[in-house]
Amino acid sequence: MSDVFAGTPAQSERPTIFFDGVSSRRRPVTLTLSDALEIVEDGATPVLWPYADIRRADSPPGILRLAATSAPPLARLEIRDAALAAEVAARCARLDEHRTTRSGVAKIVGWSVAAAVSIVCVVLFGVPLAADRLAPLVPQPVERRIGDAAEVQMKTIFGRSACEDPAGKAAFNKLVNRLRDAAGLDDTMTAGVLPTAVPNAFALPGGKVFVLKGLLDKAENPDELAGILAHELGHLKHHDNMRGLIYNGGTSFLIGLLFGDVTGSSAVIFASRSLVEASYSREAETGADTFAIEIMHALGRSPKPAAELLFRITGKEGGSGLTNILASHPLTEDRLARMTKEDRPASGPPLLTDKEWQALKGICGSGKV
Amino acid sequence: MNDMQWTHIGAEPLPPPLPPTRVDFSGNRSEFRKLVTKGAMLELVTFGFYRFWLVTDIRRHLWTHTAIDGDAAEYTGRARELLVGFLFALAILVPIYLAYFLVGIEFERWQAFASTPLFIAFYAFGQFAIFRARRYRLTRTVWRGVRFWMDGSGWAYSFRAMLWGLLVLLTLGLALPWRAAALERYKMRHTHYGDLRGDFEADGWTFFKRGWWLWLLSPIAVVVFPLAPFFYAEFKAREWRWWLDGIRIGGVSLSSNLPHDAFYGLYWKVIGWWMLLTVAFAAYMGGSAWLVVSLTGVSAEEVFAGDNATKSIPMVAMMVIGYFALALAINIVMRVYLQRDLWAKVLETVEVHDIGAAADVRGSGQLAGALGEGFADGLDVAGF
Repeated sequence: MSDVFAGTPAQSERPTIFFDGVSSRRRPVTLTLSDALEIVEDGATPVLWPYADIRRADSPPGILRLAATSAPPLARLEIRDAALAAEVAARCARLDEHRTTRSGVAKIVGWSVAAAVSIVCVVLFGVPLAADRLAPLVPQPVERRIGDAAEVQMKTIFGRSACEDPAGKAAFNKLVNRLRDAAGLDDTMTAGVLPTAVPNAFALPGGKVFVLKGLLDKAENPDELAGILAHELGHLKHHDNMRGLIYNGGTSFLIGLLFGDVTGSSAVIFASRSLVEASYSREAETGADTFAIEIMHALGRSPKPAAELLFRITGKEGGSGLTNILASHPLTEDRLARMTKEDRPASGPPLLTDKEWQALKGICGSGKV
Repeated sequence: MNDMQWTHIGAEPLPPPLPPTRVDFSGNRSEFRKLVTKGAMLELVTFGFYRFWLVTDIRRHLWTHTAIDGDAAEYTGRARELLVGFLFALAILVPIYLAYFLVGIEFERWQAFASTPLFIAFYAFGQFAIFRARRYRLTRTVWRGVRFWMDGSGWAYSFRAMLWGLLVLLTLGLALPWRAAALERYKMRHTHYGDLRGDFEADGWTFFKRGWWLWLLSPIAVVVFPLAPFFYAEFKAREWRWWLDGIRIGGVSLSSNLPHDAFYGLYWKVIGWWMLLTVAFAAYMGGSAWLVVSLTGVSAEEVFAGDNATKSIPMVAMMVIGYFALALAINIVMRVYLQRDLWAKVLETVEVHDIGAAADVRGSGQLAGALGEGFADGLDVAGF
């Protein structure tokens, strides 16, 4: 049994066109619907498409466009006559087999959610764990190289070279060495004062601590400065720089992966990164504070003056909820409260004599920076 | 095969030049809107992974509803290819980022901020990705059972783009038309439809003559806000028309009579939607703050001051929901106006000359991998 549509007037108005997938020639054809779809072009051998091989291809409305898995991949048959199209479609049982269905979409959603959940878990638990475990394993020379690079940058920003006044330097070294010995760090660490009015101090990878002159100017006694230095030594002891590097690199990469942008520029990425990284950084700062408290106690001095110095610099910080969540450090008032709780009367000797302290204050020379 | 070709052409013995054929776009606008709306929602719930499927669906819609000389094109690319390409690109980009980081450290040790120029390497890589992504899209473009394809080298293209980019920088943008012409010439000369080779005949000078005053007046547009969209629309319309006029494939050529003010409406509609959505977002935020305050009985000050984080959680949740809704709506607006409507607007002005030259083209060329699209996605330079 076969229906032959050849040569009916209705068909010549709405011709069936065949593209053989080899050339771009439009071939007006007639179709014979026998055991397989026979595509007949005048004066050429008919092309046979088994019904089971026929698949629907994208087409504009009003045209049924077919492809066949057994034909050249780009061979297309375009049926423009609606009745004929329905007739052919009825015979092709697997016409729409390859198309994305509702369950296909559900599968995409399911897998994406699974991927997202796993990425979030890795960001929240895996990366911090990896950072904590890997940071102490980073070889010293590597850490030192990164530190060297950071030092060059810092010196470009904060002044070319460290302050070198001999008496001041001797006092500074004495202070640093006492803290270092109490902290149990080896003598590969270095410390210096940079001549800039910014009141701050920081630790770099590879055991470098820098105090900025602005902080020194605001400090009123050796204990205030010592507490801050002890805090920075805590960062060194905990490898916080390397941990932060691994952690930040890992999270920005993973969050970028999640939102599909490895370089990480869009607002969502920025916001979520800031959130998780700030909480991680606050943890590290709290850890460094704990360390500073221990060191100061070990030296028989109070950790409170350092917090008072901080408070003089920053003032009360508590603001809106959002800034609290995004802050990289614990709030100064919280730190002051904590240090005050740990306040004990001095049991050890002063860290520096008055004379040494005066020399240290003048380490960058008498001139203003 | 060969004599069939002769009989075919012989049937219409070199006639007086045929009237140019038009390009018809028959896409239904509301169908497209539904497509991108559904796609944007799925993108949200899949954290963006659905973008591969959405971009494929958009291309399939635009391609199949575009008919040249009565025959509609077809896009045969599939989302799975894009996903795999993206994953492969990631696997390649990760070590590159690491290497970038390590080389950067060595540079910094030598001189502070000496590593800054290294980002230029990423720009070059982005240009490479643009070329390869175009190759992927082109090899998935089929018309009359024959695909387009590309040869040429992504790195050679990237090298040209970099040199021209430097020149544009040095001339404060004056060299832009010549850069566009040179790069387009490279792309089109390596573009093929079956055994027909493409070419690009428009030159930088023509483009320059059409747009130099825009370049001259652009500082004004930066200062006077309402002028900027007009300027951009003017520039884009002139650029499109110039580009279309230059395209050749074998003996087939294109021309366009796109008016210079063709895009005014489009851009202003997008800006209008932007403003409307922003106002709606602000109203929503105000409303939800009022709702939170009146339902929980927490004072407005506490909701925002948030010394106690738990009190601000409802507000933060409302904010996040609002933000996502806004992003979703803006996505839909951009795709409907700047992809679909722009496509339709440009195509209705296009005329195709001597389409007979493409009547019997032999198919050739291989499919290109989707890695280029993956890079483009990873580096954030993805196009259509």
